[in-house]
This record gives sequence, structure tokens and C-alpha cells, in this order.
Amino acid sequence: MPSLQAGYAPNLGIFLKSLKTAPLESSIENLISLLKRRQIRNSRPCAIATAHLLLQVVAKFRWTDIGNLLERIQEVGQRLVEAQPREMVVGNIVRRVLGMIRDEAKEDRTEDASDSTSTSQLGSPRRERSESGSFRTEGGATSSSPLRFVSTDASTLSEASGDDVFGGRSQPTSRPPLLTSHTSYAVLNGVPVQQSMFNLLSATPTPSSTPPHTSSPHGKSTISASSLAQRIVITTRDLKAEVISGIEEIIDELDQVDDQIAAYAQEHIHSNEVILIHSSSLSVQKFLLKAAEKRRFTVIVAESYPNDHEATHAAVTGKVSPDVEGDEMSTETFLKPLSAAGITVILMTDATIFAIMSRVNKVILATHAVIANGGLIAAAGARIIAKAAKVHRTPVIVVSGVYKLSPEYPFEFESLIEYGDPGNIIGYGEGALVDHLEVDNPVYDYVPPDLVDLYITNLGAHAPSYLYRIVADHYKPEDINFHKPELQF
Amino acid sequence: GAQKVVPGPIATEPKKEDKTVEFFRHLYKTRTTSIAGASKDVHPAVLALGLQMSNYTICGSCARLVATLQAFKRVIESYTTPPQNSLSRHLTSHVLSPQIEYLSSCRPLSISMGNAIRWLKLEVSKVDVSVPDAEAKKGLCDAIDVFIRERVTFADQVIARSAADKIKNGDVIMTYAKSSIVQRALVTAHEEGKKFRVIIVDSRPLHEGKHLAAALVKIGMDVKYCLINGLSHNIQDVTKVLLGAHAMMSNGRLFSRIGTALVAMEANEADKPVIVLCETIKFTERVALDSIVHNEIAPSDELVIPGGPLENWGDIKKLQLCNPMYDVTPADYIQMIVTESGNVPPTSVPVLHRLGNESQG
Repeated sequence: MPSLQAGYAPNLGIFLKSLKTAPLESSIENLISLLKRRQIRNSRPCAIATAHLLLQVVAKFRWTDIGNLLERIQEVGQRLVEAQPREMVVGNIVRRVLGMIRDEAKEDRTEDASDSTSTSQLGSPRRERSESGSFRTEGGATSSSPLRFVSTDASTLSEASGDDVFGGRSQPTSRPPLLTSHTSYAVLNGVPVQQSMFNLLSATPTPSSTPPHTSSPHGKSTISASSLAQRIVITTRDLKAEVISGIEEIIDELDQVDDQIAAYAQEHIHSNEVILIHSSSLSVQKFLLKAAEKRRFTVIVAESYPNDHEATHAAVTGKVSPDVEGDEMSTETFLKPLSAAGITVILMTDATIFAIMSRVNKVILATHAVIANGGLIAAAGARIIAKAAKVHRTPVIVVSGVYKLSPEYPFEFESLIEYGDPGNIIGYGEGALVDHLEVDNPVYDYVPPDLVDLYITNLGAHAPSYLYRIVADHYKPEDINFHKPELQF
Repeated sequence: GAQKVVPGPIATEPKKEDKTVEFFRHLYKTRTTSIAGASKDVHPAVLALGLQMSNYTICGSCARLVATLQAFKRVIESYTTPPQNSLSRHLTSHVLSPQIEYLSSCRPLSISMGNAIRWLKLEVSKVDVSVPDAEAKKGLCDAIDVFIRERVTFADQVIARSAADKIKNGDVIMTYAKSSIVQRALVTAHEEGKKFRVIIVDSRPLHEGKHLAAALVKIGMDVKYCLINGLSHNIQDVTKVLLGAHAMMSNGRLFSRIGTALVAMEANEADKPVIVLCETIKFTERVALDSIVHNEIAPSDELVIPGGPLENWGDIKKLQLCNPMYDVTPADYIQMIVTESGNVPPTSVPVLHRLGNESQG
């Protein structure tokens, strides 16, 4: 690793600085080892690092067609995910970038094939495109009739709005085989659906990929062949710029997400309420600080011993503890402690949760990752808090950026749980005990969706049961298993 | 054990901020942590005991009860009735009361201690005026010995025996923090050759479970140790949950070390039987609906990790630390209470409490 300064533990800030100068491959290797050594950890730093790295990948990679770029990013993404599979945001960011590239490519193609119907707009991204994108535009392209394209597009769009209740994507009437595609997101997840294959192939200009029953592999290939060379020259540059600006948008989103979430705070926190929070989280802290601008309330902080207690203590006292905040220093401005904002802060141990719950009005949890079923991965102890809240009929609110929302849906939730250093519980000084005692130190808890009442993301407040829909809006089905080639066709 | 309540940085602030937590404000008591300022009437044995209790050297409801009665035996032994006074009238009000007051200033009395002291006062009041001093004192000391033997020693044997019978080969027993009676039951079962595992859940700041783990590991038991954050990861493996008690409330609720309610709640959600091991001396006619009405607040400074960011927390305005000692477990989480008078459901607590008192009376 050439760029590491001596005397500093490498962290996010140093990594970002090194990105600009270091060669790409060494940057990738650098991030992989940083992830493996947990020198970049927690959702936000991982997300930021991934996004910046992918930006470099796109900027430095010489590509001739979009398929190459997608493969390249998939390959880099796969390595990053393998480096630290439990930092699920890494995969999320890669998926978002992949989806964004696909969208840009699609748009590009649409513009080419039927420039009259360009409905593209950079400003309002994904949602609309994912609805009206994919195969339908391709249908327009192959038939090369703008008129027909317009009509199908319109019809599917209207269908989409009708279908929304079921959470399904609109199904194109013009293409019977695609009807096997999903109506629910969960189906999609385990089994990559046919549609995903069409999309995947449609993105690369290989003629053989066209579904058999459509008008013409030949028709398409002739179109591609005739225009391909020319298009590459004209569009690659534009496309690259658009992809880069798309990634920058994602980076911007990562920067702003907490403030966006905080904007909903005053809706949910009222005067003289008692709020229970767990461990330290920037999102939650900003959320409460925002609410504190208008209201006075009490916050009880459960310290999340033994893994996050130092960060929690630092957060309530406003001190920066060197090893924990190190990652955040470069990207986060120093945040004042809640008590400085006029909120009464009560620090308690995790064991007191049940005792205090009868006086708590709301529980606000931070997350490590959110899964599509509405469950979440959070600091260990969150599950008993949520359960104690349920027993006391106290509402549980989860505050999380959309970037933490992962399309992964494991059947075995234990696979998402990471176990930490048992030395945090029984120090290695206590030799006799260490030798004979089995010590268990989970870092994360899985909180099932039925223990959560409300999610507040940067898009607003949602019921846990609605989250899969947001997942579907943000990730393309064909990208969901990008890191597991064996699950793809 | 670093409880510097009075001379901390809070006290030196010009305008002292109230660092007590509103919900618990009725429960705050400053603790005596040194013998300075103790009344001259306090017996040396009691002075020592008070300090041992305040720094948790002697900890646990039963241990404190026994230690208190032993100390009171010393007090009674060294007592002589002043002229123109009778033992039954003088001893309680003039000698025992200052001792009790001092002890409760070191750490609030446990419910079992309250029960025992009430019994002792009754015994003292029953001493006949005509009985000579020496004989009366001997009578009282013997009565204390009998009381300890019956209500604690034998009771513990019976409970440990009965609880050990409930442990079968292949069981996975979860327990929380440290209870001497649970430890005894586990050791008894282990000595009988039963093969079972123990999962000990523990929490800050006392880490009592660590002592239990050390004791069990020493005799070669298969022990797993986790803090309360690992509770929900381990509950599925468990077959039975054994809990100790600080007290059993008359409405069937369990009053025990803070965190016990979480363990019972998780066990209940996972359909694991929760068995409470409790001597009837810990039963009380008091009731509790939540953990806030009646509790003990330990000094907040016990939560401070030396060298951590919490040092000097007192300087930060509006920041409070709260360190309650007990919580109340709802009766529905408890399947069985093992006592020396039999195994009962939580609803039978008031009945047993009455029976216990009547047999004494």
C-alpha cells in the first residue's frame, strides 16, 4: 500500500485522499484490506468509501460498451463484498451504481432509437425509470417505431400506477413470457427471474440475447451493427460523464441523508416525551438535535456495552474518542452532544431497559442494515429493547438512510450476525477464566419486522411492510445477486 | 467500587446541578462509605459490615441477612442492660436502632433483612423482664442461630435439592448475574453427575455473573458467558432458566437484580420455563407494579469506566447517569417458584408469606 502515511492508522479520510493519487488497482486492494481489517467499518464510512472507489473505477476504466463497464463494476463489487460480507451497504452501493449505469445506458439507447420520445431527465432519477425502463424501451428499439414505443410506454405506465398496491411491477402485455415475472419482491430475491436475464442481456448489445419470439434478432443486430461504432464514439463520453455524475449524486445523498431524515423529527417527537435510544448513531443524534430545536424532551441512552459503549459515552459527553470517531473525523463535522441542546440525557446500562420502559414514550433505534422484509440489523441488544418496548406497548421507530436498505434476504438470520472480540467481555488478563469459559459477544442483533412500528428514511416514514417496495425502487432485480455469480443465469 | 458520592466534582461546582433522575428522585439516598461520622453507638462489627455492604464485598440478599444477624449477635453479646431498664424495652430502641440506621445508610436494607429485623425485634420484645441478662442474651443468640439455620441454611439445602432434581441430563440452564442459591443448585446437580450446560448472562456494572462463572468453571462445568447483549442469541438453546431473587412481591412479581426481567421476558417469548429459587424469608407483603416505585439507586459513579469518556461527567450540564439495582419481573413470566415449603406458582406468594409469619408468631 503505497499511499499509507506512517504513524496514522489508515481510515476513511486517508483512504479518500489516497484515491486521487494512487493507481486504481492498488486503491481497490487498499479498500479491500481496510474492510478486512475493520479499519473502515460501520455503514456510512463503508458506503462513502465504496462510492468514491466506484467513481474512480468508472473514471479510470477505458470501456467501449456499457457491458464491459457493468462487468468491471460487478467484478470490483464482488471483491469488496467478499472482503466484508456483513457490511451490507457495500453491496447496496454497488447495486445502486450498477442500476444507475443500466438506466443511463437505456436512456441513451432510447434517445438513439427514438429521439422524439426522450423522456429522460437527470434530475428525477430511478423511480420512474425503473418503472418504465428495461425491456419496454428495448421493445421500442427493436420495432424501431416511435409510435408503438410511445403507446406501450404509456400503457405500462398507467398499469404501473394501478399495480402499485400489489407492489408488483407492471407486466408488459405485449410479451407473454415475461408474465412469469414476479409480483412480489420476495420471490425475486431468491430466484433471479427471467426478466432479469432479458434486462441483463439487453444492456449488452449482443444480438443473440434477444428473446426468441420477438420480431428480429436480425433486425436488432442490423441496427446495432450499423450504428454501434458511431454510437460508441459519440455516446461513451457523454455516458461516462452521466455515470460519474450519477455516482456523485449517490455520494451527495450519503452526505445529506441524515439531515433529510432529521427533517421529519419534529413530526415524531413532542414536548416532554421520554425517548429511549440505544448505542451511538449519527443519524439518531441529528434526528434528536433537530427535534430539540423546537421541543424539550428527555432522552434515555442505553449504552450498548461492551462493543459500542465507548462511542456512546463519547457521544453523550461530547468528547471524541480517538479510535471510534477516527473514521468519521474527516467526513463528519463535530456534533454537539444532546445535552448541550437542552435535552436532559440519562445514561443507563442495557440491563435497565425493562425497568425504565414503563416510562418511555418512544424507542428510536439506529441500524446497521435494513433487510427487505422490514427487519433490521442493529447493535447487539437492540432486539431485547424492541421486545421490551413491545411488551410495554411502546412504539419503536427506526431511523435509517435508504442506502442501508439491502435487497438481501437471508433465510438464516444468524448469517448476518457478526461476533466480536470476547476480550471485551472477559479481559485476557483473567487467564484462568479465559481458558475454560466460552464467551459470546455478538456485535449485531436481528430485529424482526413485527417489533418495529415505523421506519423513517430520507424518503419519509414507512411501515416495515412497505420497505420491499422501496428496495424494488432502488435496485434492479438483475443486480441483486451480482456478487454471487452462481445464482445468476 | 468507587463510590465517592459527596466529594466528587459535582459537590465543588458553585451552583450544584441536580444530577438525580426525575423518575427515581424519591429513591436517592446518599451512601455512607466510611466510618467517619458514624454514631458512637454503632458496634465495631456493624461498622465493618456496613462498609463491606456498601462496597459489595458482602452482596446478595441472603448473605447480607446472615451477616447482619451475626453482627447483631455480637451486639447483643456485648450488651448489658443499664440499671432501671429492662432488656426488652431498652435493647431495641437504644442499641439495635442505631445499628440498623447505620447499616441502612451504608446500603438500603434488603427486604429479607427487613423481615429478619422485624422478627428479631419481636423476639426481643418477648423476653420476660424477670429473666436475668445473661440468660436472655443467650436465649436471643440461640434464637438467631435457629432462625438462620431454619430460614436460610436448611431452606437453601431444600431448595438446592429440589432445583437440582429439576435439572436433567442434556439441559441447558440459563441464569442471570449471580445468585448463591442458583449456584448451589447447579453445583449439586453437577456433583450428582448430571451432564448439562450453563449459560450465564451478566451485565454492567457489578459483573456478578463473572464470579459465578469462575466458581462453576473451577469445578469443571461447561459454562458459557455472555452479557445482556448476547441474551437473544442464546435463548433458543436454553431449556430452563433459573433465577435468584432479591424478594418476591405479594402480587407474584419477582424483585431481583436489574436485568432479570429482560431474561425472563426473552425466556417467556421463547417458551422456556422460568424457575425462581427463593427462600420464604425473602417474601414480602409489599406489592410492586413497576421497577420505579420501589428500587435502590446505586451511586452513578459506579458506571464510570476509569479512563473512559465518562470521567468528569458531572461537569456536563443536563447529563445524568442512572444506576438502579433492581427490576420487577411480571408474574406471567414466572412458571414456578421453588421455596423450602414447596414449589408454588407466583400467585401463592402471599399465602406462603402468611404461613411463614404465622408459624413464627
